[in-house]
Amino acid sequence: MTKPDPSETSEPDGPSAMGYVVVWIVLIVLATVSLLVSQMYGGGGGSGELAISLTIAAVKAALVAAFFMHLARGRAVHSMVFAAAIAFFLLLVLGVIADVGTRSIASAYVDDVGN
Amino acid sequence: MSAELEVQYDTLARQHATARLGMWLFLASESLLFGGLFALYAAYRFIYPAEFHAAAAHANVVLGTINTYLLLTSSLTVALAIYETKHARRHRALILLAITIALGVTFEILKGVEYGQHLAEGIAPGGYYSYAALPAHGAVLYFTLYYLMTGLHALHVFGGLCALAWLWVLLYRGRLTPDSHLALELGGLYWHLVDLVWIFLWPLIYLVN
Repeated sequence: MTKPDPSETSEPDGPSAMGYVVVWIVLIVLATVSLLVSQMYGGGGGSGELAISLTIAAVKAALVAAFFMHLARGRAVHSMVFAAAIAFFLLLVLGVIADVGTRSIASAYVDDVGN
Repeated sequence: MSAELEVQYDTLARQHATARLGMWLFLASESLLFGGLFALYAAYRFIYPAEFHAAAAHANVVLGTINTYLLLTSSLTVALAIYETKHARRHRALILLAITIALGVTFEILKGVEYGQHLAEGIAPGGYYSYAALPAHGAVLYFTLYYLMTGLHALHVFGGLCALAWLWVLLYRGRLTPDSHLALELGGLYWHLVDLVWIFLWPLIYLVN
């Protein structure tokens, strides 16, 4: 049996205590920005506003994964599992949106598409 | 965590590396469990955009936002608890872990208050919905998904809290050491996932008004 490479088996390296606090401050600021944006555009309820808040959410999630969950300096295989989960998640959600979003087009050709 | 080497591994480090990878695979499967509900949300929001906006305006943004700050902070404290354990400062780690648990418990209490307020108004899931002030079809779907998504998430918070409480006891008894604290590391990963899910639930449920 080969000796394991220490970088492959040791606990993933995280930031310093101060590093964690800085990431947390950024997360709190981003959450507050997201809240303010939603209050500013409140009532308009456009999908642009939703796109902004989901983009901010994605940045927050990336920060949590990279630093709190140690993906940034962890094993590549952890990032691969994480990336696969995101890809499958998006495939599921976007596939469903593509379905409901094109039913009016499809109904022009097919009688029983459920709309 | 027991530092016993299982027969199929040549070193403890390799055994731990496998456990870490297993945890990531579990988290990936968890994200797809929530993925089904997010897909449903996307479909119904697409079909009933106006009704979803009207219903979301009725969600309790204040409690939802407080809970967002609580969970983000609890992610910090659990990360720091692991950091302090690694650096042999057990007392600090115990305090940080206790703060994490307190934040999670507060999250659950606020969620309970929120559910109580909605239920008192007749906003219940599915066929039990009886709130006349909001447009029928879309609002019922919004609130049913609201209960399903936040309910499933709250169950995960509860599971995470049980794990953290168990880890606190292990740490208190000196079973988690700077060199051997895999269980705490994995428990922390699970807690961060609970935070990640909420990061997306919060804008979708509370900020789309």
